[in-house]
Amino acid sequence: MSTAMNFGTKSFQPRPPDKGSFPLDHFGECKSFKDKFMKCLRDNNFENALCRIQSKEYLECRMNRQLMAQEPLEKLGFGDLIDGKSEKK
Amino acid sequence: MGGLWHPGWRRIVFCGWSWSHLGSPARARPGWNGTGDAERLGTWKRMNPAAQPPPGPKSKNPFTRAQDWRRRRRNKMVLTYVAAARRLGASYAAVPLYRLYCQTTGLGRSAVAGHASDQIENMVPVKDRIIKVTFNAGVHASLQWNFRPQQTEIYVVPGETALAFYKAKNPTDKPVIGISTYNVVPFEAGQYFNKIQCFLFFYIDPEFAEDPKMVNVDLITLSYTFFEAKEGYKLPVPGYN
Repeated sequence: MSTAMNFGTKSFQPRPPDKGSFPLDHFGECKSFKDKFMKCLRDNNFENALCRIQSKEYLECRMNRQLMAQEPLEKLGFGDLIDGKSEKK
Repeated sequence: MGGLWHPGWRRIVFCGWSWSHLGSPARARPGWNGTGDAERLGTWKRMNPAAQPPPGPKSKNPFTRAQDWRRRRRNKMVLTYVAAARRLGASYAAVPLYRLYCQTTGLGRSAVAGHASDQIENMVPVKDRIIKVTFNAGVHASLQWNFRPQQTEIYVVPGETALAFYKAKNPTDKPVIGISTYNVVPFEAGQYFNKIQCFLFFYIDPEFAEDPKMVNVDLITLSYTFFEAKEGYKLPVPGYN
């Protein structure tokens, strides 16, 4: 926040998240995708870049089950994964 | 030499005077200098009221005139130094002043901390800048939830969206509504930390890689804290501005 700010430094507005909060997955409909993602992370030493396919699949699951607002995948930063799943970075 | 002061005699006086300077010192008045003192010749000034006094020092005494010139030169020098100092100060002050202007008007700010979805579409990950993001979770003392992150850390690069999970469990048998705040350390990295959705889909702005103050930042810690929410409570947006 803006406490302890002096003249020259920037002060910026804290922002709430763009899309608010994920609805809770009470029925565990996307639990399997989540587990796949977590397993991928653990196997790859928690490197996000290697597990983007799994995170894309998890978000797709959410969107399909109305647990997340529908959004084209490019807008979620997965533009490079849409063209071909083989195009792995 | 009473005729000297007569108006009609001025030309003659002038000529006679210079001759007297050259030729006959006996005719010169005592104390009279030979260089032509217009003030002594009161008629000269009076006869030409429209004429401007010649530019330059007012006195005809060489000593005072030299002093005059020195004084004028010194004044000009002082003015030049003051102007130079003022320009130098202005160029130094321009940097924080411009920053302040940007803060207040918001111009240029949105480019740095923008989080529009079209920005996400077009952003390019900065592959050579790996940042470790660690996760913390806490609750307020009166909230009886079990709240913890599902991963201790994750390695991301700026410009890449990332997913992370938190788990929350309400062990009581009453429904409880919680509101959470989050905190990013280091503080200045917080402006680059963009949350798309809680809990937790985020990305770090690619501009992070271009901020010179962030050069040594390799670890960002995100801390969530949950509080119990009262029914119908509307949170004000935090911030002073």
